Amino acid sequence: MKTILQRVPWLWMMFVLAVAYPILPGLDKEVFEITGQPVGRVIATIFISAILALGLNVVVGNAGLLHLGIGAFFGFGAYLTGIIMVREYPFQREIAPVAAFFLCVAVSTIGSALLAVILSGPVLRLRGDYFALVTLGFGEVVRFTLRNLEEVTAGTKGLKPIPSPWTMDVDFAWNYRGYYFLTLTFLTIVILLLRNLERSAIGRAWVALREDELAAASMGLNVARLKLGAIALGAGLAGLAGCLFAYVLRNTSDPDQYGFNISIMTLCCLILGGVGNRTGVIVGVVLVFGFDNLLSPIMDSYLQRQLFAVADPAGDVRVFGGRIGNTGSPYLNFSGWRLAVFGLALIFVMRFRPSGLIPARRGSTKES
Amino acid sequence: MPLDLFAAAPAGGLDNFLQYCVQGLLFGALFALIALGYTMVYGIIELINFAHGDLFMLGTFMGLTVLSALGISVSTAAAANTGLTVLAVFLMLLIVPTFCAGLNWSVDRVIYKPLRNAPRLAPLVSAIGVSFVFMNFGLFWNGAIYEDDRPVPAASPRAFPDLVPLRNLLPEDAGMRFTTKDVMVVAITLPIMIALTLFVKRTSLGKAMRATAQHPTAARLMGINVDRVIGATFLIGGALGGVGSVMYALYINTTSYQAGFQMGLYAFTAAVLGGIGNIPGAVLGGLVIGLVRSLGSVYVGETWNSALIFAILILILVFRPSGLLGARTREKV
Amino acid sequence: MNSMRSIRRPLAVSGFILVAVCLTIGCNRGGERRSRGATTETSGKTDTPVATKPIQPTPSGGDPKVIKICSSLPRTGSAKAQTDAIVNGIRMAFDEAGNKVGDFTIKYEDLDDATAADGKWTAERETANANKAMQDPDAMVYIGPYNSGAAAVSMPILNEGRLLMISPACTGVGLTKKGGEPGEPQKYRPTGTLNFTRVVPADDIQGPVGAEFAKSIGVKTIYILDDNEVYGKGLANLFREVAEELGMKVVGKQESIDYKQSDFRTLMARIKNEHKPDAIYFGGTSQTGAGQIAKDMVAEGLGETTLIVPDGCFEAAFIQAAGANIFKTLKCYVTFGGLPPEKLDGKGKEFVDRYKAKFKTMPEGYAVYGYEAGLIAIEAIKRANKKDRVAITDACLAIRDFDKGALGKWSFDANGDTTASTLSVMKVENGDFAFVKLFSRQK
Repeated sequence: MKTILQRVPWLWMMFVLAVAYPILPGLDKEVFEITGQPVGRVIATIFISAILALGLNVVVGNAGLLHLGIGAFFGFGAYLTGIIMVREYPFQREIAPVAAFFLCVAVSTIGSALLAVILSGPVLRLRGDYFALVTLGFGEVVRFTLRNLEEVTAGTKGLKPIPSPWTMDVDFAWNYRGYYFLTLTFLTIVILLLRNLERSAIGRAWVALREDELAAASMGLNVARLKLGAIALGAGLAGLAGCLFAYVLRNTSDPDQYGFNISIMTLCCLILGGVGNRTGVIVGVVLVFGFDNLLSPIMDSYLQRQLFAVADPAGDVRVFGGRIGNTGSPYLNFSGWRLAVFGLALIFVMRFRPSGLIPARRGSTKES
Repeated sequence: MPLDLFAAAPAGGLDNFLQYCVQGLLFGALFALIALGYTMVYGIIELINFAHGDLFMLGTFMGLTVLSALGISVSTAAAANTGLTVLAVFLMLLIVPTFCAGLNWSVDRVIYKPLRNAPRLAPLVSAIGVSFVFMNFGLFWNGAIYEDDRPVPAASPRAFPDLVPLRNLLPEDAGMRFTTKDVMVVAITLPIMIALTLFVKRTSLGKAMRATAQHPTAARLMGINVDRVIGATFLIGGALGGVGSVMYALYINTTSYQAGFQMGLYAFTAAVLGGIGNIPGAVLGGLVIGLVRSLGSVYVGETWNSALIFAILILILVFRPSGLLGARTREKV
Repeated sequence: MNSMRSIRRPLAVSGFILVAVCLTIGCNRGGERRSRGATTETSGKTDTPVATKPIQPTPSGGDPKVIKICSSLPRTGSAKAQTDAIVNGIRMAFDEAGNKVGDFTIKYEDLDDATAADGKWTAERETANANKAMQDPDAMVYIGPYNSGAAAVSMPILNEGRLLMISPACTGVGLTKKGGEPGEPQKYRPTGTLNFTRVVPADDIQGPVGAEFAKSIGVKTIYILDDNEVYGKGLANLFREVAEELGMKVVGKQESIDYKQSDFRTLMARIKNEHKPDAIYFGGTSQTGAGQIAKDMVAEGLGETTLIVPDGCFEAAFIQAAGANIFKTLKCYVTFGGLPPEKLDGKGKEFVDRYKAKFKTMPEGYAVYGYEAGLIAIEAIKRANKKDRVAITDACLAIRDFDKGALGKWSFDANGDTTASTLSVMKVENGDFAFVKLFSRQK
């Protein structure tokens, strides 16, 4: 049984839109005029978030393990890229930027996957929520390690600047299209890879594992290996996302960026959109990160203009003669309400579509 | 340059070991109060109630509001006479837990209850949503009285009136300090924990709780009103969190809209460490985390504190996969 | 068995392909590059100039008669009171100019580089703000940011278009000159040209002044803490260097706190038990635990130890966080890279009066710097007299002997730093900052 939402070919529609956006001449400029936001650039970060969320989806959606520390692997990938690319380290001196970029992609992906295997190996036998807490713990341990190993990671300063992957013809820093297509390409590759993987023997094994671990084990599946594979793949994709993130941001940001918050937000994307369903996950990412990075700043500058049109010189805002606050007060700008709006959205979606907006078609993710 | 990982080398030796332990245990008691809320809710409906830390945070703001209603501000707190102080603490201990319990209960009624049969992650994400909403409330909630005409801080940490005077009860050269505030934490936390244990062990509602935790369907078949039991759990968990808020606010004398995040994270960790769903476990977990936090600060370094707590948690879970006191249950098939 | 093999194969194949692709491209391009010469072969240690990028032209479009000035400050979270004051100062500067410079209409947009969830600035928001300003054909001046760490993020981006940055609050040394990390400040200037200016004296003045002051009040042993952030740690390091030079005994190791912790009681107990210093220096801000440190010092019996904090704590929020009562026991001094509002004279005093009349509150410490930054922006546009980023930036860097503002007469030096070097030390008293001493330090 498909619901109406499940019938719409979301993925194709989004893909066509995503490709069309930078190709249509002057569109980004028009959009900038209206919204005042560098939308093309923000979309590139949304693509990255989508890769991160798809990585988490392998762990949570496919293998059915609750993972609360994906941010750590995201950050680890970003920092590996940083270490390869910043001038303080000797690694990139002999390599052309393009090659260095692919090197970073490979190292970040494989490095994060390895880290995940090393960390998760010993705790695979933990059940359900204990495992979730351990992943949360890893997230925090990795974050604090990045923070405290100043000699390697520059502490809270972050590693910067990371040069753009191209040198001459297309300068990525000048034109948003470079990063846009780069991230879109990677996202497309990831989606195709995951699609094929899901239809392969491992994909089916993961479903068996998710639906009933005991039954899967009695059918002769190596549960530990399957779990580890999912965790490694998820972390690897997160590392890839981290690598791209560091490139687009042109620095590794600071370790706090990769804390519990981003792990939770990514998990929210998953569940909001529909765990286990790639299309749903991407819809979730577009909603959550689009809200945070596009809608919220747009609303902020819109409200700001409106407020200053009615405020008196001291900044007091009056409606029908009654003072409702100062232009500076947090409840008179949108970012002051951002958490509440987001929280309420989560609550309402869960209340009325507990399996997410576009639930997975196959089976249910319900546990007994 | 040699890698100088640990900023503070173990320097102090064991001179003041006892003091650091006491400090850690006292703070651990606060963690335990909050951890109980996590563990009780988890024990009954297997929900990691992410909003609990922020509920605790709102409790501290409620406490601030109660004090403001009594006319006590940061600058007048020291001048308050004993009668007023006792009254204020008493009122806080009455109102804040009631507020937290009520809020927790209503959230369960309105938000979690309709999701009892939904996929497991749905209530979890709802709880995250509630936590964001609470945090936003905290951002707007002023609560305190400010006498000067400076702008009221919107989001910065704010001082909580220093109501309980700080007096060292031991001689200064005793090698450790034990202050009136420490006494307060012990005097209020300990009876509450004992009362909770007795309640769960002895009363019929307590028995119903344990039964529901073991097997909801079976409990329902035995004529237990499971919904009522769950409601009661949220009430008690919220109230304990409320007591935790009052203790925390009086002990640390600071609150901010972000206070719930770190405390909630530690308390949740404490709950899991002790064996999630296990009431004595949560207390033990809280104390262990408090101890690790304090000793870690002394012997490893302040910046490694959080990492150390989680590292120890992971280590313990590797060897005891169900937490310190958790029963080694097989997954229900 | 079957499943194992099916995991291994795709993983191995994709891994192999990745590595192969990298190696091929790497070898080819690497060889090419080496033969072409070593233009980009620079290391952090030697300061050979980086291959510079050409300056990106201002995007076309926009209204030729409108100049937009953006500010990027942490508007949500705990720095809000301070940034409110800065924004008020900026707005005042523009309002007093009638929002007009020559034929141009000034449009001001107040951007936020913090998120409520984090409670402080994030690199992601700051990058987005910088990108937004770069892409906006009307944006000519970027006032901000507030945090030195944020400046290091947005500077390389804005530098590519030579979009003028005027920071009212960033004091990190490495942003404009050597003395911070290796490779600074060149690594923030991909075009090899300057675009960052600031109207506050840098920390290479403030840190030493703090140490000198500590010495002057008879501090012999001092314990140094920092918040592990760019600003706080940098300042604490500078303080330590000078403190040691001046012959004070720095006890224990400089330690960073994790400011997200609820309290630092154990740390304070340890400092008391092991060192019992005359003073504690905390390199940090009121958002990174300064208030809690003051409180915990008293709680752990360090009430007689003096606390010295930098200008990141020169805001009401610090006293409000610690609670004014604490400072009846604890002596606490704040260094500030300028004069406190009540000590300003002449035009400065007029500014304070106008501010009070307009916003009905005493300006916070940085309000005057917001105002000054706004005036500098106007002056630069006036001097350039055309809507062109490079011309405005050059005009700004050429400003000498500027005296139209509230800070007296000062110039930009060759690094884009202010030549003003008057610092003051305040004591926290009666819930407010009381002026103690003036320091003038020649660079």
